[in-house]
Amino acid sequence: MSEVQKKKYSEKEKTNIFDNEFMPHIDSMYNFGYRLTFDEDDAKDLVQDTYLKAYRFINSFEQGTNAKAWLFRILKNSFINEYRKKSKQPAKVDYQEVETYYNSESVDHSITSDLRVDAVKDMIGDEISNALNSLAVDFRTVIILCDLEGFTYEEMAKILDIPIGTVRSRLHRARNLLKDKLRSYAQDMGYDTDNED
Amino acid sequence: MEKDLTPSGERKLECDDVSKCFQLLESILDGEVNSESKETLDGKLAKCQPCFEYFHLEQAIREVLKTKCSKQPVPSELASSIRQKIEEIK
Repeated sequence: MSEVQKKKYSEKEKTNIFDNEFMPHIDSMYNFGYRLTFDEDDAKDLVQDTYLKAYRFINSFEQGTNAKAWLFRILKNSFINEYRKKSKQPAKVDYQEVETYYNSESVDHSITSDLRVDAVKDMIGDEISNALNSLAVDFRTVIILCDLEGFTYEEMAKILDIPIGTVRSRLHRARNLLKDKLRSYAQDMGYDTDNED
Repeated sequence: MEKDLTPSGERKLECDDVSKCFQLLESILDGEVNSESKETLDGKLAKCQPCFEYFHLEQAIREVLKTKCSKQPVPSELASSIRQKIEEIK
């Protein structure tokens, strides 16, 4: 957000933008907040904080552009700057090892050939949610933004402040991690996940 | 739908460039590649077993994520408390 705030919207226009372009996304925002923190109060605080910032900086919002992406970016930044600082969890985890492993070709192949479409389709919501929630926050975030919220790679790049190429490769890794989780659920469910061919 | 596309084991069992193909298939599923027509894609999937399996698995996962992930109901007082706070800073 720019430091210099130009006064381009009247009070009436501000209220109009806030009510018609910002507030309709409260449902997605709250769920994003909840999936980041796993805590109802923290999610509420994050969303409230995001909307207050959005109002304060409303002059840097261009009407007609994607309000949802703009709000998600503020929420994500609030989460990183304030929530993570407050919480006891380490702010940064070294994903190097995970990333190297899950980005290798052998993993691409083995994970895919071991998990069956039928097994995935038979899973219940809790299993899918748990698998997603078990991923490290950076990987979880790209799947939430892409698959649950339907953002494009370009929008995700802006929300996360990373290049599109990184969005693509992080998504790929995130999905491999997710498949690994789903595969272990499939095994628990008694599906034969061995490659019988 | 998948079954209609399966023409009895004529696909090659190894993909020559797994990483590249899989990332392309992911981009297609994410709606990021529009140049691939449905026919070109079907043609590709009809020739390569790993790509065929990968595509349908990825498609299934996206579908269950979209339809089955549990959603949290927004606390009823959240919107009004936000509006109240906005009124205070106005």
